[in-house]
Amino acid sequence: MWGTEWPRFEVIKQDTKHGPPQMVGSVHAADPEHALLVARHVFVRRPAAYALFVAPAEAFFHVSQEGLKELRPGRMEGGSEEPYWVCAKRSHRRSMVYGDLVGRFLAQGPEDAIAQALLQAQGVAFWAVPERLLVGTEPTEEVVESWFAPAKEKTYRLQSYYGLITAKGVEDA
Amino acid sequence: MVKLRIGYPEDPDYQERLEEFEARIARGEKIEPGDWMPAEYRRQLIRMISQHAHSEWVGMLPEGAWITRAPSIRRKLILLAKVQDEAGHGQYLYHAAETLGITREEMVEALLSGKAKYSNIFNYPTLTWADVGIIGWLVDGMAIKNQTMLAQCSYGPYSRAMVRICAEETFHHKQGKEAVLLYARGSRKQRQMVQDALNRWWWPTLMMAGPHDTDSPHTPLLLRWGIKTKTNDQVRQEFLNEHVPELLDAGLTIPDPNLRYDEKTGNWIHGPIPWDEFWKVINGEGPMNRHRLMARRRAHEEGRWVREALEAYGQRRLAQAAD
Repeated sequence: MWGTEWPRFEVIKQDTKHGPPQMVGSVHAADPEHALLVARHVFVRRPAAYALFVAPAEAFFHVSQEGLKELRPGRMEGGSEEPYWVCAKRSHRRSMVYGDLVGRFLAQGPEDAIAQALLQAQGVAFWAVPERLLVGTEPTEEVVESWFAPAKEKTYRLQSYYGLITAKGVEDA
Repeated sequence: MVKLRIGYPEDPDYQERLEEFEARIARGEKIEPGDWMPAEYRRQLIRMISQHAHSEWVGMLPEGAWITRAPSIRRKLILLAKVQDEAGHGQYLYHAAETLGITREEMVEALLSGKAKYSNIFNYPTLTWADVGIIGWLVDGMAIKNQTMLAQCSYGPYSRAMVRICAEETFHHKQGKEAVLLYARGSRKQRQMVQDALNRWWWPTLMMAGPHDTDSPHTPLLLRWGIKTKTNDQVRQEFLNEHVPELLDAGLTIPDPNLRYDEKTGNWIHGPIPWDEFWKVINGEGPMNRHRLMARRRAHEEGRWVREALEAYGQRRLAQAAD
């Protein structure tokens, strides 16, 4: 027998400085720092990235299309609020990402955060996570460069790297 | 704890929910993890996705063996990146399967104990460098045909993993094709080498698409629920129609004396596939079955100290934070 598995962390990736952070998948890791490193290997082997964020998978509150019908957010007068990130899956068309970040919402709970997000964005599934549980790479030039530039330099990145596409065209090589 | 029996036909509202579920699929909607789904849909997906993930992980072995022997630094970098991709693909897929309620640990345990299957193709040895090219072009070529079909899958997480994988798999396909075409036009020895690799990989590659539709018991249900959108024979036909003309153009001989072009349908028709061999290999009698599993078990064992060290580090940090 072997030990139990590491906890699972959801990964949110931001491709460019002004692009929306998007949920791309999850990794298993011992702690958030480790999760960021693994996420870099799994999700940024080649594509561009500006930042990565992780949070424990169980910290995410998820509502699917069916669940949205039954969403009952309750707000209490004077109840305590904290910032949540809410991501939405916009449609059923093919896409590599789970959900795009809709925004940050001060809410009394994840259902409340999603209810607020629903006023701004349409979607067929939503995820909410408390901001305090998110750990991300720093958006400084130095960090971005050292974390994400190597993927750009990688050999065997672009399709056009291979000149020879058809058997007939091989003479031109 | 009460065991959840949602999605089983004995549920009073099963029929009604099944109709709703099938209507959603018919509308082209994706099923997401929190949604209702028949237990059999869940079971089939776990079976397919985990088997797929295992194939990616075992698939690192035949090519990984050539990293130290690549003929140039460029080829070495390409192969390193490719093998690293396979590991990543395994991760995407294990994650997709986890959304269905199975744990990573259960899946890995099933692989290491020999209970779970992985693609038969990886039970063959890579004898020369030309095999690396042929695997890239043909094996990954067949994988892409299958995966493009699965990218349309009705289950959201599997479909998304497939879109991501297909994008990367096209690199593998192109590098394989480039390597094979170069050798096919190279010295006599290079031509022999690549022809020999083609001879050995041709039939196993055709078998990768799975048994004929008439022998594939799962297919009708998988199609009905949009898990698959094409049958095994359709996928195999697409592969042939794309690859046969290119292999012939390259001056290679396809080791099938019955292979012919059908003018009427525009299809390349293959001769009888040696299914006896397929079943023999699936049942553990392939040339590399034992070796592949042994290698995965060894990797798992030898990585144990890393997992333990990371866990100890993580726990110490938690304890420090609590102080």
